[in-house]
Amino acid sequence: MKIRIAFTTAMVLLTVSRSFSQDLLEILESETSKATQFIPATFKMTRITIGHSTEVRSKGILEVFVANRFWNLPVERSQSFIADRMSSRIALEYGISDNLTFGGGATTFDGLFDAHLKYRIPTKNAGVLPFRVTLFQNFSYDSSPIANQAIADDFSDRLAFTSQVLLSKKVTKDFSFQLAPTYVHKSLGTQPNDPTNFFALGVGARYKLGSHLSLVSEYYHTVNPIESFETHDPFAIGVNWELGDVLLQFMLTNAVNMVEDTFITQTRNNFNFRNPNLNFGFNATYVIHFKNKLKK
Amino acid sequence: MIRILVIFLLMVTNAKPPKATEKVIARQGKVSFFSYTSVEDIKAENNQVLSVIDIDKKEIAVRMLMNAFIFEKALMREHFNESYLESDIYPKAIFEGEIVDFDPTIDGEQTRIVKGVFTMHGKSKALEIKTKIVKQDNNYMVSGVFETFVKDYDINIPPLLAGNIAKSISVEFRFEYQPYED
Repeated sequence: MKIRIAFTTAMVLLTVSRSFSQDLLEILESETSKATQFIPATFKMTRITIGHSTEVRSKGILEVFVANRFWNLPVERSQSFIADRMSSRIALEYGISDNLTFGGGATTFDGLFDAHLKYRIPTKNAGVLPFRVTLFQNFSYDSSPIANQAIADDFSDRLAFTSQVLLSKKVTKDFSFQLAPTYVHKSLGTQPNDPTNFFALGVGARYKLGSHLSLVSEYYHTVNPIESFETHDPFAIGVNWELGDVLLQFMLTNAVNMVEDTFITQTRNNFNFRNPNLNFGFNATYVIHFKNKLKK
Repeated sequence: MIRILVIFLLMVTNAKPPKATEKVIARQGKVSFFSYTSVEDIKAENNQVLSVIDIDKKEIAVRMLMNAFIFEKALMREHFNESYLESDIYPKAIFEGEIVDFDPTIDGEQTRIVKGVFTMHGKSKALEIKTKIVKQDNNYMVSGVFETFVKDYDINIPPLLAGNIAKSISVEFRFEYQPYED
């Protein structure tokens, strides 16, 4: 009896709680809305830490990118201001189309000039592909003076090429990861028995700590490293902080160089907290919109 | 006895009105919002907003997808969806309301108050919006402007950017309705 009354009350409540405009909302739900072209950001920044992410900037966006690395020399006492050594890479990156970016930059410490093309494979409907796919091609020219006569340093020797297929996945709203199969061709500074074509795999991830702050890390493993001198796999851990048009990245890494071909194949120190292995990295990106979508 | 009562109650509460109520729908409604501060002006537009009016019951419902808002600056759209509105958790905003003293027999223009609840980013807020309704044949055009506060929707703005985003956001809407057939 009691059960029956409870059942009745429940049913009545259920039917009454179908609020007055429920059927209007049902109509709205049944209307198929046009799929929008918007793809949510997996990394937001065009770099995770040291390496590129699958993100590209939209058409008409210019990024002014400044990356810095600071490190100390392994000496007992130092009178340097802030850090013993510093390297800066200044670059400009421009969105030619919504999926294609061209960028170029120069680094102070190693004298590398580099240019890259980055193309994101457009996904008509986000979610069809299991991964976000971006193709990355980098060219670099090493302008540093080489005193050693034994090293071949013709123009072609000083060029290096990096090709990457960047695959990323936004697993949850907070967690994204990336795999980066990489091919590098670089011959400068190697001995005859060293490989000049390198294969590497990069792994990167982002975890959002807050709405504007995320923890990021990246690691590149070279399958066939240089044999004539000791190299280590570059590793970086840091935080990315978004401030509207300004995107800041802070990191700790063992990679001194900032161009892909060099830091992937020729990072000479392993990651630890001793000098000069530990580098403090600071990247600042300023995003300038040349094409405003709403203004005709 | 109780069983009969239950059945009777169910019949009464579930009973549909004998005559199908007249409804109109707007499939490409426009909603735009503006934030003006001395630092930065932010403007966004959504042209894919859905809305239905039940003419007899004087009820109105609106649904919009947050990621369909297009911004002047492309990066703002990413920030808006990922960092502010969290559109992967709260993909849409919904308004349900009633047009007070709505008279469908008036041809031409009438200005009415729409009372209802706006739900966005998981937070609901009661709104009263002054609305212009224009009837022409069996088509309706509903438009208006209102102000709403960012803090009402639990949107997290970092202190460093507080100067870039206005506390009060001006929202403009315009819907053109056509008769709805099931």
